[in-house]
Amino acid sequence: MSRLLVVDDEANIRLLYAEELADEGHEVVTAASIAEANIKLQDGAFDLAVLDIKLKNESGIELLQKLVKERHDMPVILCSAFSCYKDDFSAWLADGYVVKSGDLTELKQEIVRVLAKKAQRVKAGL
Amino acid sequence: MDWECCWDRDAIAMGDCPNIREGDEDLLASRQRRILEKCCDCANFSRDLQHFRESRHPLADVFGMLHDEYRLQKNQIQSLVSFLDNKTLEVRFLHELGSVLQSSVDLEEVLSVALTAITAGKGFGMNRAFLLLTDREHAILKGYLAIGPRNYEEASQVWNEIACNDMDLQTLAQNFRQNKLSSERAKFHDILEQLSVPISSTDHLLIRALEDKHPILIEDAFHNPNVTAGLAHLLGVDTFLLMPLHSRNRRVGLIIADNCITHRRISENDMHSLETFTFPVAFAIERASLYDRLQVELSRITEAGNKLKEQQELIVRMEKMALVGRITSSIAHSIRNPLMIIGGFARSILKNTPPSDPKRDFIESIVSETRQLEGVLDEILNYSDSLYPTRDFWDVNQMVETSVRDVQELLIQRACECHFEPEITLPLAYIDLKQVSYCVRTLIVSDIDGRSGEIVRITATGHDGSIQLRIEDSQRKVSQDELDALLTPFAITHDMGTGLGLALCRTMLDKQGLPFVVIAPPEGGITYMITLPTQKEEES
Repeated sequence: MSRLLVVDDEANIRLLYAEELADEGHEVVTAASIAEANIKLQDGAFDLAVLDIKLKNESGIELLQKLVKERHDMPVILCSAFSCYKDDFSAWLADGYVVKSGDLTELKQEIVRVLAKKAQRVKAGL
Repeated sequence: MDWECCWDRDAIAMGDCPNIREGDEDLLASRQRRILEKCCDCANFSRDLQHFRESRHPLADVFGMLHDEYRLQKNQIQSLVSFLDNKTLEVRFLHELGSVLQSSVDLEEVLSVALTAITAGKGFGMNRAFLLLTDREHAILKGYLAIGPRNYEEASQVWNEIACNDMDLQTLAQNFRQNKLSSERAKFHDILEQLSVPISSTDHLLIRALEDKHPILIEDAFHNPNVTAGLAHLLGVDTFLLMPLHSRNRRVGLIIADNCITHRRISENDMHSLETFTFPVAFAIERASLYDRLQVELSRITEAGNKLKEQQELIVRMEKMALVGRITSSIAHSIRNPLMIIGGFARSILKNTPPSDPKRDFIESIVSETRQLEGVLDEILNYSDSLYPTRDFWDVNQMVETSVRDVQELLIQRACECHFEPEITLPLAYIDLKQVSYCVRTLIVSDIDGRSGEIVRITATGHDGSIQLRIEDSQRKVSQDELDALLTPFAITHDMGTGLGLALCRTMLDKQGLPFVVIAPPEGGITYMITLPTQKEEES
């Protein structure tokens, strides 16, 4: 079981992710803002974070940069309503990028892929 | 006393006076006028005067003195009248010349008038003239134009022609400009080429003449220490005149004039007249040159203005497009989140709803409708992206292979095949990779949409600086109406679904200026052809 942090400012999206990803066997912790995410990050380790890019008055990219710097062992998947951020250099820091959709199959597959990659890295001692 | 002259008679008959000829008949009956106009200069009258002196009359000597003085003054008056007539002609000529020179800003016209005036019989009557102009950019005095005959035969022919046509100066200049300017330049090309001297060569006679600002008459050129042997042989005359052209202290150029055919002496008078003439000529040349440069600058500014206007229009259009893009993107984002929540929860509920549950159909409908709406949303966002193509050089083979790989899963689901054989020697194409990849994917997906067992063939071949990309399905049958609808944004077709698909492809390709042709013959098959450039527009 993997422990996932989901950051999204939309309460219903957080609820949907929590339900669906829990069904996939993950432990899901949600946060509505960067501040809340920071608090949750202090509570314990996470295997992966799913970040929305456009948070109310904040940017998920900012949190991504912080995580890359401070928690480089924790992979991040960006999940946004905008496909254009895919071309943003800062977004390239993330391990995955998924455009939001009612069909969470792609997100779920991306989580599996990124976690597998992380496991390989750990195994290789990188 | 018998007088030999007729001065003592009130009226005389024709033949009585040797000085009265046809046209002077009115003097026959007018004694006073006859004495003043004819008798004073008549040999008979002189003899009568001599007889009068011999008579020793006291008034005879006084009369003789008065007669001599009268004749002297009469000659002086005649000489002054002649001088005045000449000056009047000269003023008229200069006025005529000045009018043309002042009213023209055409350099060729000014030069034609100037050189014609120097060489025409009605002008200064020189045989030949060379015009040298100062090239400030290259700091050189350069032979520019010449006029005149090169030998006796030509001189005889040209002067006869001018005499027969009896043209005024302006007509002569016009005639020269229209018919002879180029041929005269070609005729004297060899001499003009050698009449180029750097301004820095201050020892050179031509540069000295230019600096001195006064005409110089060169005589005995072949033995003159001031004239190089080269220049003397080049001109082939021993006497020539150098006239500098100055306008407001600016060195405009130099005129060399000579009488190489008639060898008529160049007088002081000729020099002064020509010196007077050079002022308006220099001014007119300077003005016409400035006008030429002004025209060049004006056309540059006009061109720059037009470019600026185009850029402004482009900026306004791009701002509008950017606004449309931002609005579209913002709306799409506002719709996507709720759509995702509806679709996501509907799928979640569906998972936990047994197949027998009558509500399952309703939930499936929600899932299916939200999926379709998400598809439309993607197309709208792609449309707003299509407003800004970003082009660069890309490998078409790689682009097609990646695009086919992206739709591979769908091809397998539909039991369809897509074949692409890359051409190894294909050059890079100058395209927006993202947009053209989207078009290739969309064309494949659109072709197999709702079908199974289709075989799509893709080829990319190089043709005259471009790459022809063909996507072909020989089994597909599409009517013209359906094809038109497919290529129209947001049009709905019964059999082929809705949306922007092909219409968006066409818009994207249009914006990049890439020709896009769809051929769907009635007998079946459909072929999409996209022509991709291999060079940037400015290079091609």
